[in-house]
Amino acid sequence: MHADITLTVDGRRHQLRVDTRTTLLDALREDLGVTAPKKGCDHGQCGSCTVLLNGRRVVTCLVLAVAGDGAEVVTAAGLAEGGDLHPMQEAFMDHDAFQCGYCTPGQICSAVGMLDEAAAGWPSAATPPRASAEGAVAELDDTEIRERMSGNLCRCGAYAGIVSAIGDAARRTHAAAASGIPRPAREGGRR
Amino acid sequence: MDFLSPDTWAGALAAKAARPEAVPVMGGTDVMVELNLGRRRPHALLDLTRVPELARWGAEDGYTRVGAGVSYTRLVERVGSRAPALAAAARSVASPQIRNRGSVGGNLGGASPAGDCHPPLLAAGALVELASAAGVRRVPASEFYLGPGRTVRREDELVAAVLVPEPRGPQVFAKVGPRNAMVIAVVSFALALDVAARRAGTGIGSAGPTPLRARAAEEFLAREFDWAGGADPSPEAARRFGDLVAGAARPIDDVRGSAAYRRHALAVLARRAWARCAAEVRGGGV
Amino acid sequence: MSTTSERPAARTGAIGAGPRRVEGPAKVAGTAAYAYEYRAADAAYLAPVQATIARGRVAAVDTAAAEAAEGVLAVLWHGNAPRLRTDAELPGLQQPGELHVLQSAEVHYRGQPVAAVVAETFEAAQHAAALVTLTYEQLPHDAEFSAGRTDLATPKEDHRQGDVKAAEGEVVVDQTYTTPMQHNNPMEPHSTMARWDGEAITLHESTQGAHMVRETVAELLGLEQGRVRVVAPYVGGGFGSKGPLHAPTVLAVLGARAVPHRSVKLAATRRQMFSLVGYRSPTVQRVRLRADAQGRLSGIDVTATVQSARLGDFIEEAAGPAKSMYAAPNRRMGHRAARLDVPVPTWMRAPGECPGMFGPEVAMDELAVACGLDPIEARVRNEPERDPATGKPFSTRNLIACLREGADRFGWADRPAEPGARREGEWLVGTGVAASFYPVVPPVGGSRALVRHAGDGRYVVSLAAADIGTGAWTALTQVAADVLGVPLEHVEVRLGDSALPLASLAGGSTGMMSWGSTVHAAATAFRRLHGDDPAPGAEAAADLPEVAHRDDYAMHAYGAQFAEVRVNTDTGEIRVPRLLGVFAAGRIVNARTARSQFVGGMTMGLSMALHEESVLDARFGHVVNADFAEYHIAANADVADIQAHWIDEHDPLVNPLGAKGIGEIGIVGTAAAVANAAYHATGVRVRRVPLRLDDFLDAVGA
Repeated sequence: MHADITLTVDGRRHQLRVDTRTTLLDALREDLGVTAPKKGCDHGQCGSCTVLLNGRRVVTCLVLAVAGDGAEVVTAAGLAEGGDLHPMQEAFMDHDAFQCGYCTPGQICSAVGMLDEAAAGWPSAATPPRASAEGAVAELDDTEIRERMSGNLCRCGAYAGIVSAIGDAARRTHAAAASGIPRPAREGGRR
Repeated sequence: MDFLSPDTWAGALAAKAARPEAVPVMGGTDVMVELNLGRRRPHALLDLTRVPELARWGAEDGYTRVGAGVSYTRLVERVGSRAPALAAAARSVASPQIRNRGSVGGNLGGASPAGDCHPPLLAAGALVELASAAGVRRVPASEFYLGPGRTVRREDELVAAVLVPEPRGPQVFAKVGPRNAMVIAVVSFALALDVAARRAGTGIGSAGPTPLRARAAEEFLAREFDWAGGADPSPEAARRFGDLVAGAARPIDDVRGSAAYRRHALAVLARRAWARCAAEVRGGGV
Repeated sequence: MSTTSERPAARTGAIGAGPRRVEGPAKVAGTAAYAYEYRAADAAYLAPVQATIARGRVAAVDTAAAEAAEGVLAVLWHGNAPRLRTDAELPGLQQPGELHVLQSAEVHYRGQPVAAVVAETFEAAQHAAALVTLTYEQLPHDAEFSAGRTDLATPKEDHRQGDVKAAEGEVVVDQTYTTPMQHNNPMEPHSTMARWDGEAITLHESTQGAHMVRETVAELLGLEQGRVRVVAPYVGGGFGSKGPLHAPTVLAVLGARAVPHRSVKLAATRRQMFSLVGYRSPTVQRVRLRADAQGRLSGIDVTATVQSARLGDFIEEAAGPAKSMYAAPNRRMGHRAARLDVPVPTWMRAPGECPGMFGPEVAMDELAVACGLDPIEARVRNEPERDPATGKPFSTRNLIACLREGADRFGWADRPAEPGARREGEWLVGTGVAASFYPVVPPVGGSRALVRHAGDGRYVVSLAAADIGTGAWTALTQVAADVLGVPLEHVEVRLGDSALPLASLAGGSTGMMSWGSTVHAAATAFRRLHGDDPAPGAEAAADLPEVAHRDDYAMHAYGAQFAEVRVNTDTGEIRVPRLLGVFAAGRIVNARTARSQFVGGMTMGLSMALHEESVLDARFGHVVNADFAEYHIAANADVADIQAHWIDEHDPLVNPLGAKGIGEIGIVGTAAAVANAAYHATGVRVRRVPLRLDDFLDAVGA
């Protein structure tokens, strides 16, 4: 059985006919040729297929394409669009936060989504129970970053670089916000 | 594979009545794994993501009613103070990406003995609301689970919501696993106290064919707990409580841990839970 | 060119700097195309059908339902699959048995491909694969790995010096250490896109060596190598399993034969990664050390029992590193192999050395305890003057320097001698050390590099090397820029394509030694031939230079790893808040990517210490925890403070660059350091990895 759906991917609108069995990940990769999200495990355990779906980080291997009808998807390629890399991507380069690069687009989408979650005050399993009154901004130390990034596996073992890259990017974004410089390209809703 | 995508609750119930074999799917974090791994090849999926009623939560007669489609993330963010043990469990489910999509409803639908949400629901005395075109019923969590992956839900029913009693005392949840994150619990434990009624509820995960309560331990704690002052338990009382919790478990040896280790760790988690609840009572944090 | 006497003068200082990865922008933006991601308007998809028995014959195959399913283009099985050459001469350690896919009815291991469906879509292929019905004549299988088996084979004569039975000394360590079956699990599954056009085939392949794939496929098919093209510029990790070919690549080649002029795509699922692409053998290591009261070794005896397959032999040489590590007049090192009805094992990061330094390095810790020595001192006392295995002098050996510098950086001096002495709340805290070792191994295959002046002072350097995440792309750019004396941005390195000049396999930590030396030679030749102001189009090529003194010296890299371990006294949970390694591995070409290589290896070593174990159910012959939910690898939250340092080692004897290779040594010794630290924390000696939650409970009195 097939269904006609609409997806907006990295700012471009696509109409496509998908098999109802097709995952959003396979629709992106095979039908649309959007290969920034990677297939690493097929069952939501590795995070390589992470994108920002309607502004939130999700693993696309566990979403059926047909269930994503009308969704707005931003991939790592979309974060970089316009020729300039996103500050998170620059930070990953600076801190050598990757080796083979296969988990990297997912790590970067996850990191960008994660900073938004933290800025919104969402607690994590590493946040002390009492320190997470609703609305409080979580302090994003290395322990918090590690916990919040644990949905993205990296077999090359670049975690140390990933944590420092994200800390760096968070500080840069913070500084840019404080100095009134507009925040760079962000997920969801832009364009 | 047919894909049914109703956009109202009535439509969802009608679809389930017409196609009882249709597999309900919300965030997809359980069902999609089974599809991708080829463990299940359903003829129809019933997508519930577009049913607005399932994403709602609110107070209702001394309970907090949490729609089956409320994501773990939203649950932590919005319902946390009204269901502390459940929220603590929701913080540690799988990965952040999965918490953004997955929901308590899915955890109940799958009914894996290792599901993180079950012990808090048992401990808090929550109700599971099941609905079909024929009507609605509410089942105590302690009567909901029948075996691994099996529950009292009939084929024509959908999980509509869970109803968690307003907290009337401290609640804690803890789990042990071999990895710091992204871990399927080796064991998990929840404890919820009702200070006014001087009652305790417990829930054990990953240590039996279903999530379990430790009733003897609950009765023991109710007798021995310092309800007025929140003093720490005596070492003997703490040990006894731990033993009673461990004794209620029916663990097996598997890849993640031995049965003996599971009993040991449950006793530890139980003792810690008592101490944390006592500290909360002392600190007046209730 | 064979001058190896002097370190070449750096003309720009590019060698040794730390530029960002040249391919970094494509990787962070997700635009780098891996094998499965090339666009093909006419793609078809292949889904394997895997045997559900571990040994026997396929008696019947019913393909009717699959063939009738929507979108199915072909169903292959041994009765209709194209024939492969049975007398193919395969390079390296390629296993013909493993690669002769769909050539007979025989089933040699559970999970073996016994049929395959080619279909218009991935979903259709998956669906139809489930519709293929197989009937088996099952035979009894044997998949029970044990060192106590009576039918163990001795694959190679034992290495013997002196008489280990006659070794004297009052201190004896006689223990058995075990490491489990492990799976490489690169994040990118093994992937192939194959397309036949007439009698020529193009493969987009996730591989550690484009030429290795070309030669193997050509041999199997009986084609001239020129008719096989292999494209693989981006590879999502390999860690050894993408060195040799495995069954999925051959399946894709056969499947593509059925649909000419169409690209057939196959990516192993994560589950299939546990049955189709090799693994690291489990090991049982009986280690017997004999020493005097001062800890000086008189005898070292290591027997490693490993698992191999009846279908093809692969010996994990876990008794190998003990040959060279410590001095002792009496020595014996040998292997015993259980040949079972299981998939063929393969390379996994530091094959031999990684598991083989676990037992002996824990045993050295036990020796230190028995003699009342500091574990560093125990190693210093047994430092050999010459390579114990060969009697040759070392080109360089800086193990002691690594131990000393690591001790300083780690804060080893404050360490209490007694185990179980440090308690912080409910945690016991301890520290441990182990040595790292990795030999300078000869590259698999030759290499040749071409340097071409593109005009305007810009250069193109070509060779078919593979950067599987090592940083080779960047480091080779640095080498060329340095020798040519031009800015980094003026050099474009092209790699990962069999149409480019021959390059050796990415394996054995040989990349810089082979490709680096080759590029160095080609760039040197270019300047010699064309001077500093060459015409556009000027070219020079060079082959891998001979290493003049390879046979005269023992050449190895060394390191020392330090771990801090915390064990929870209530739950037995194990945490590793600190890991520190110091390495002596020759010249470091790129400080940034080298650090990632060391730290990445140590992270995988930590993962080995705490998490990784494939559980084979011998009753059925399959791995029961065949996915990332159950086969744990370290997640971000498991890795805390992890540091790598290196000493400035000058070794002009190893090769013109002075580089020893750094891809594997980082994983060697980590698990022993963690286990030794856990002992120091708790007083409980665990001689097996992964360490488990319940290993320490008795001792911590819970």
